Amino acid sequence: MRMVLTAVVSGLVLLAQPVHSQTYPTKPIHILVPYAPGGIADIASRIVGAKLTEAWGQQVVVENRPGGNGFIAMGAGAKAAPDGYTLTMATVGDVAITPALFKEMPYKWDDFAPIGTVSDAPMVWAANANTPYKTVADMLAGAKAQPGRLSVGSPGNGSINQIVLEWTALNTGTQFQHIPYKGGAPAAAALAGGDIPFAILASSSAGPQVKAGRLRVLAVTGAQPSKFNPEWPTLQSQGVKDVDASNWTLLLAPKGTPKAIVDKLQAEVAKILAMPDVKERFAGGGVETIPSTGAELDARVKKTAQQLAVIVEKAKIKPD
Amino acid sequence: METLGNLAFGLGVALSWQNLIYCFVGCFLGTLVGVLPGIGPVATVAMLLPFTFGLGPAPALIMLAGIYYGAQYGGSTTAILVNIPGESSSVVTTLDGHQMARRGRAGPALGIAAIGSFIAGCIATLVVAFFAPPLAELALKFGPAEYFSLMVFGLIAAVVLARGSVIKAIAMVCFGILLGLVGTDVNSGTIRFGFGQPELTDGIGFVALAMAFFGITDVVANLEHKDRTDVYGDRLGRVLPSWEDMRVSFWSIMRGTALGSILGILPGGGALLASFAAYMFEKKIAKPPRTFGEGDIRGVAAPESANNAGAQTSFIPMLTLGIPSNPTMALMIGALMIQGIAPGPQVMTERPELFWGLVASMWIGNLMLLVLNLPLIGLWVQLLAVPYRLLYPAIFVFCCIGVFTVDAKIFDIYMLASLSAVAYVLFKLDCEPAPLILGFILGPMMEEQMRRAMMINFGDVTIFLSRPISACFLIAAVAMMLLIAIPSLRAKREVAMQE
Repeated sequence: MRMVLTAVVSGLVLLAQPVHSQTYPTKPIHILVPYAPGGIADIASRIVGAKLTEAWGQQVVVENRPGGNGFIAMGAGAKAAPDGYTLTMATVGDVAITPALFKEMPYKWDDFAPIGTVSDAPMVWAANANTPYKTVADMLAGAKAQPGRLSVGSPGNGSINQIVLEWTALNTGTQFQHIPYKGGAPAAAALAGGDIPFAILASSSAGPQVKAGRLRVLAVTGAQPSKFNPEWPTLQSQGVKDVDASNWTLLLAPKGTPKAIVDKLQAEVAKILAMPDVKERFAGGGVETIPSTGAELDARVKKTAQQLAVIVEKAKIKPD
Repeated sequence: METLGNLAFGLGVALSWQNLIYCFVGCFLGTLVGVLPGIGPVATVAMLLPFTFGLGPAPALIMLAGIYYGAQYGGSTTAILVNIPGESSSVVTTLDGHQMARRGRAGPALGIAAIGSFIAGCIATLVVAFFAPPLAELALKFGPAEYFSLMVFGLIAAVVLARGSVIKAIAMVCFGILLGLVGTDVNSGTIRFGFGQPELTDGIGFVALAMAFFGITDVVANLEHKDRTDVYGDRLGRVLPSWEDMRVSFWSIMRGTALGSILGILPGGGALLASFAAYMFEKKIAKPPRTFGEGDIRGVAAPESANNAGAQTSFIPMLTLGIPSNPTMALMIGALMIQGIAPGPQVMTERPELFWGLVASMWIGNLMLLVLNLPLIGLWVQLLAVPYRLLYPAIFVFCCIGVFTVDAKIFDIYMLASLSAVAYVLFKLDCEPAPLILGFILGPMMEEQMRRAMMINFGDVTIFLSRPISACFLIAAVAMMLLIAIPSLRAKREVAMQE
């Protein structure tokens, strides 16, 4: 009897699913963000969320759950009901660096059903304009002359910015002193004020200071020059092998979310990210939109996580 | 002269119908979230961000700025009425503001807070208009060594701030520092006192701590007296400050404004230090009769003016350098970027309507806030007529909601409960909470800056003395320590404190 019942119920569930995804969404969608308001993951969620509301007529609520190295939001996102009503906007750090840093993790990549990549913010290696360093070669020569005596600021321990620093140091056989700050803004201020000679910053926070003549960009950290500032050379073009990193964001659903819902979300988000006004909004902050499929995102995360784990281990980056 | 022309141009921008409406909306929302503890300006600005996409950059910025400084006006309301500081900068306001409320002078306290904020806002707006670029340069001169020395000075001053025993004040500052150290260390990434709880990796929330030590403890202490039915005196007294009140506090407002304008430009902690500094300064130099700690109106006027002046001048680093001095500012920069404007030094020259429009709107906004807040005082004071047996459960609920809404974590409510127990014990031991709060906020910043200064200078301690601004703060700190330590002076201090 029980077996019959189970069969009937699961049959009903199977039958019900396509209906569900056709009518989805029927209630507000929540996007969990592991960061405080103002960061790129937050702003990306709000831009995309506003457009989803326009398209589907359902409210999209952005929930900032900052802290705990992203554990709180990412853990909640992984364990949320897989119905497409709780999504997570993560950054590359949450899925490719944090897992390499901590032994015990409240979530893993397999807990999520990837929807797609969203935005890509280029980063730059910048120097204070009053320092003598004009190119990456100057800087590396300086670092070789006095190993470990050149300070490089970053927005924090375990940030993608720090990874770029350690990656560069490993691949060029140099040593720097890493100075972590509480976020990008204080690091940019310290560099502009001349407290430190170098910092690795989001290109959007370095841009205005470069225009004002306080900072000088030595290199962008991606493999390709930034679309917004093609005049800045890459690290790779200046002899730093392999280093390729930027701060990108990605949208996730919990594992087990019906494929139809994930696909519907992916299609709509990709459509939104291709809209000229959305692109323009992101571009205002020096950020590109990078729509992708779930499979592409999955491959990118796996590749990046593998790459960065090696650097974390070799450079002995540790949260404690 | 050029500045006056620019200001007139800015007024033209700010006085357009559209901008006036958004300025009002911002100020109104700001007052509202300022009154509700927990829901701060950060969350409000974040929620309104998508709404600003459709506006031009000027109205968007004017509205978001209104929320920010409007919240400074609103924050004093709960501090005075029910002893709950909603924002860190209104902690000091509770000291004398709530005492005034208990003596039936809630109206004058709220009134002087609004009037002081208005005067401070107007003057600080002029400071922004005339001196923004040079002040921004000064802010950039503040490196880790300067911050460290400023914090040392602030912490030693916290001991002077305390009313009772010096030993207890020092102990409370140290306890505050220890509580502040809970969480992830910025320099090494190590999690301290975390006990494996992910919720503790970001430390103890300020709102929970302030509510435990002020709001909840106050209620419990009131409930100890079974026979006392009304906490707030039988007369509610006048609603607005008298001319005498205005005369007494006028120079306090001026001094608070000056301190707030200067300290406000320092990113991180500037506005908070300003309100503490203004209070201590008043306490030291005020002419008798002095009743600080028992409802002296100057103890409300000075810090409230300082925190509002600081709120206005904290726009300077953002507008002239593109560097946000707090999370709300970071969001405003986000809003501007979405509009295609990279905030930075060039905004002033390339988009003068934005800079001068905002500066002029601040003045208009302050006027709106005064007009909005003064009539509300009558309403707030009526609230105190509610019998205490009905009021105190409401305060409890209010505290819990406030703590919960910060990060939507149940854990924070447990935190509030346990901190309240600790706070009550300390209250029974006559240990004052104000030095603890200051230690909680300044201690970790002091540590972070000190270690950063040492790292950048490769362990060279002389950096703190070889940089002139830093050396000045340290000398002032030593002077203040002597003031406490020398017994003859100490006797004097006790006399001063008892008044």
